[in-house]
Amino acid sequence: MDFNLSDLQRMLLDSAERFIGDHYSLEHRRALRDTADGIDHSAWQTFAELGWLAILVPEELGGLGGAMTDVAVLAGALGNRCVREPFTGTAVLAATILAGAQSAQDAVVESLVAGQARIALAHDEPGERYADSAPRHSALVAGGPGFVLSGQKMMVLDGPTATHFIVTAQGPEGLTLVLVEDGADGVARSDYALYDDSRASDLTLSGVTVGAGQILATGEAAQALLSLALDRARVTLAAQSVGSMEAELEICSAYLKERQQFGHPIGKFQALQHIMADMFVATHQARSMLYFALSRLEQPASVRERAVALARVHIAEAAQLVSRQSIQLHGGYGVTDEYEVSHHYRRQLVLEKQFGDIGFSLARASA
Amino acid sequence: MDLAIDRELDDFRAMVREAIAEMLPPRIAELQKAHGGINSGHAETLEWTRILNERGWSVPHWPAEYGGTGWSPMQLYVFNDEASKAWAPDTCWGATHMCGPVIYTFGSDAQKETFLTAFREGRYFLAQGFSEPGNGSDLARLRTAARREGDRYIVNGQKIWTGGAFASEWGFFLVRTNPDVKPQAGISFLMIKLDSPGVTIRRIPQINGDADLCEVFLDNVEVPAENLIGEEGMGWTYAKFLLDHERTTSSFIFYNKRELARAKALAAAELIDGKPAAEHPEFRSRITRLEAEVTALEWSVLRELANEEFKYDRTAAASTLKVVGSRLQQAVTELQVDLLGPRALRFHAFEPEDRVDAGPLWPTHAEGRTANALIARASTIYGGTLQVQKGIISKLAFGL
Ligand SMILES: Cc1cc2nc3c(=O)[nH]c(=O)nc-3n(C[C@H](O)[C@H](O)[C@H](O)COP(=O)(O)OP(=O)(O)OC[C@H]3O[C@@H](n4cnc5c(N)ncnc54)[C@H](O)[C@@H]3O)c2cc1C
Repeated sequence: MDFNLSDLQRMLLDSAERFIGDHYSLEHRRALRDTADGIDHSAWQTFAELGWLAILVPEELGGLGGAMTDVAVLAGALGNRCVREPFTGTAVLAATILAGAQSAQDAVVESLVAGQARIALAHDEPGERYADSAPRHSALVAGGPGFVLSGQKMMVLDGPTATHFIVTAQGPEGLTLVLVEDGADGVARSDYALYDDSRASDLTLSGVTVGAGQILATGEAAQALLSLALDRARVTLAAQSVGSMEAELEICSAYLKERQQFGHPIGKFQALQHIMADMFVATHQARSMLYFALSRLEQPASVRERAVALARVHIAEAAQLVSRQSIQLHGGYGVTDEYEVSHHYRRQLVLEKQFGDIGFSLARASA
Repeated sequence: MDLAIDRELDDFRAMVREAIAEMLPPRIAELQKAHGGINSGHAETLEWTRILNERGWSVPHWPAEYGGTGWSPMQLYVFNDEASKAWAPDTCWGATHMCGPVIYTFGSDAQKETFLTAFREGRYFLAQGFSEPGNGSDLARLRTAARREGDRYIVNGQKIWTGGAFASEWGFFLVRTNPDVKPQAGISFLMIKLDSPGVTIRRIPQINGDADLCEVFLDNVEVPAENLIGEEGMGWTYAKFLLDHERTTSSFIFYNKRELARAKALAAAELIDGKPAAEHPEFRSRITRLEAEVTALEWSVLRELANEEFKYDRTAAASTLKVVGSRLQQAVTELQVDLLGPRALRFHAFEPEDRVDAGPLWPTHAEGRTANALIARASTIYGGTLQVQKGIISKLAFGL
């Protein structure tokens, strides 16, 4: 076993920390929030140039053929600064599904790697939550030259800036993953912001024409591909969460040395020292759990799923402890939008509830 | 010991419930239900105060000569419980519960006339200007200076976390009038009109999308000396009086009861895998555990209201209520967020003019819940942080 970074991973982390550290200041992120779609388009191009979008794309499709451990290294750096660009949806979830698609998707993958295509999963439907394998109400039926797709999707993460959607629907062969372009006839979006300032959409599909080339997977293959992609996405979120906790340790320990009350730095108070120590322990354990989950990602689905669920429970609970105490240690400043810790808190909340929250993961792990 | 609640209170409860139902405009109740919390609903707060005042109920806890109702502590408890259940807003807390009692206890007749009347009638909002950027927990060393020049004070300094200052006409401030004595002894209690020249107010954007907290900059602000409450140098004593005055309010017992009831309603309405959340064991036990804790808190409050003989310093009991009450505010609102699952993540604008209709896919009960949970993080910070409260308990109860 070797928990140290490989030379390539070290390079990846150095360049990620440098770019993200320089670029994603709190002011910059707060300014992005006020833009129409919330995303930093020029930074996204840099993501592409640095090869970040290509990590999971196989070499034969023009990617780097990297591993989830590489993604986790990068995701930690994204989490450090609460970067909320649509990385997980596009470079992990969609890249996984497209690479495993039954129909060749070379052009879309190429454009994803180049930073042009951003692809969002449209799975959730009204009245359900985290229903990974329940039948879809969205329906794909034979019609016209190929198929017709109709349905209602909710909370499509990063929907407003997506160029394409991977829509889950019930088709003639069961669960079907369909690639739909944004702006296609019959696709209507209703966009909104989430509490971490990322964006999502509700998607209405009314008689959207679908050709055979847009069918990515059907039946059991579709289910297997979707759950693999979701588990990879969950681990990517967990890695961001660990990155966020690690940043909070730095921010809070610095604050405790600098902030004075009663004539001392508040870090002199043992009550706060113990809080910092608890945060340290939780963060350490969280990173261990991340490695455990990463080690199980290539194993049979049942082993993988349980490992990811265990990791999600443990990491999310650690993240709650760390992000809550980070605010507490900052006193009033902690609940303002002008201090980093309130952004980490909101980001952690969103990371916890995407693609399955603690309750969902608990049920999955104890099933 | 008699652990039964006085039967006569039942009639009183029925009476106030009916009266509140008659008086409270549904519009205000709905707003309070959706967005109430630590929020900027200042206009509704004042409107409700005026409505209560018409019935003589806006300051029921004050002595009768200043407009109180003469209700017993238990009757007051029942009244507040019913008002909270009906989704009535509070009255302006700073005025009716903090500054008011200081003025009727230590103020001059002229001050009583000017301020108590205005507070009782809900004429304006009042801000509390105690904390400073460098002095939060360590309030006694506050630096905002008031220099006496003839019949006025010249005030210079900065306050922060001054809740609602931007919407307030007046503020009650702690200022340093004597830099040469020990910190506590040099502090005075001053009323400052917030439209005075030299006062600049900046709203602070918060974690929950609101911006109720403010910074107040005081630059050579002239304050008539008649705005000094009581004696110079007694500000610290008055501030302690004010904070100790109501030992049970920091329990937020009414809020906690009401929000737990809301959580139960959410658990019945929210479906997970086709079943109400309330039928999922994980949520069931979380709700039940919180119900036990809220119940214990209510009985701790009742012990305090009934003036139980207490072996320890009473302040330790007040801090106990604050420790439990603040933790519960967080736990109950977090439960609400978890009950909503991913639907809790959608941002809802705080300012009424920015609010949009989320559309038919979105349950209206989702709106406001996350904002409330986010600002509940502050409940272990304001009014003496959790760490400070624990310090008080270990010191006053055990001399540690
Ligand atoms: C929502 C909200 C509303 C508020 N409203 C008002 C208002 O209307 N008017 C007003 O004047 N003020 C108001 N406050 C200010 C509030 O009273 C202060 O935030 C509080 O006293 C803490 O001070 P601080 O923020 O400077 O934190 P600090 O005192 O800097 O505390 C930072 C950390 O140090 C810890 N700490 C400090 N001293 C000790 C110690 N001795 N032992 C152990 N740990 C310690 C704290 O617990 C905290 O974790 C409000 C605050 C909030 C968040």
